[in-house]
Amino acid sequence: MNWDLIIFYYLAIVMIFSSVFAIFSRHPVYTVLLVLVMIVHQAFLLLTLGAEFLTVVQIIVYAGAILVLFLFVVYLINLRKETRRNVFIRLVSLIAIVFLLFGAFLIKNLFILISLKPSFRAYLPFSIEEKSNVWWIANYLFRNYLLQFEIIGVILLVAILGAVFLIRKVKTVE
Amino acid sequence: MPSLEQYIILSIILFLIGLFGFLSRRNLIVILISIEIMLNGLIVLFAAISHFTKDISGYIIVFFIIAMAAAEAAIGLSLVVLIYKRLRTVYSDEITNFKG
Repeated sequence: MNWDLIIFYYLAIVMIFSSVFAIFSRHPVYTVLLVLVMIVHQAFLLLTLGAEFLTVVQIIVYAGAILVLFLFVVYLINLRKETRRNVFIRLVSLIAIVFLLFGAFLIKNLFILISLKPSFRAYLPFSIEEKSNVWWIANYLFRNYLLQFEIIGVILLVAILGAVFLIRKVKTVE
Repeated sequence: MPSLEQYIILSIILFLIGLFGFLSRRNLIVILISIEIMLNGLIVLFAAISHFTKDISGYIIVFFIIAMAAAEAAIGLSLVVLIYKRLRTVYSDEITNFKG
């Protein structure tokens, strides 16, 4: 019994089917809850890849913040079941998906080719040594990627201010 | 341990599911959620490549992707609430203000 493969196939099948049902469900609440199932399974998939810190971040940020925000907006606006189907766009997008699937499996070989090349950094057995995954992420994040980290902070600040500004402006106009 | 190819196939399938939802649905909230599904496919791809090449940079890119997704969800949902306040609809084919 190869438990790694069994766990991977379980996680992959649940992720694919929950996202397919999320896309095709008529009601937005079901969509948000199915995406929640998908994100929790993806957090465990990141755990099998040896990224414990990202598992915790995924559950806290995605499941705890972003999807709750979506759920609040779904409750806030008027719910009406989507009965009409947009047949033309659906047909066009189906054809586009078939072509993209063909192209994507060509791109897949390219990714494998790229990723099999040895990395330009030193070999870092970060999940084997006694230094944990969190130690390596903190070490790289605050030494090599400090500028990008600050830029992400500015982007989040701009997002917060933009959201507040967009909602408040309507209130003063009305 | 599953190979890198299986992780890449999983990420491509998730990305295409999200793309199909983005193109075919009319509800603006579901369109934003399908963007999140596409970003989740990218997260799987970067984490798998980072794990198999023993390079920590992919994990940090995943961290940045999650932060970008939070900012994008905040802005997008505030725009959806704004559209609903102005036009009383969230369906993308009923927003016809710019039609000539």
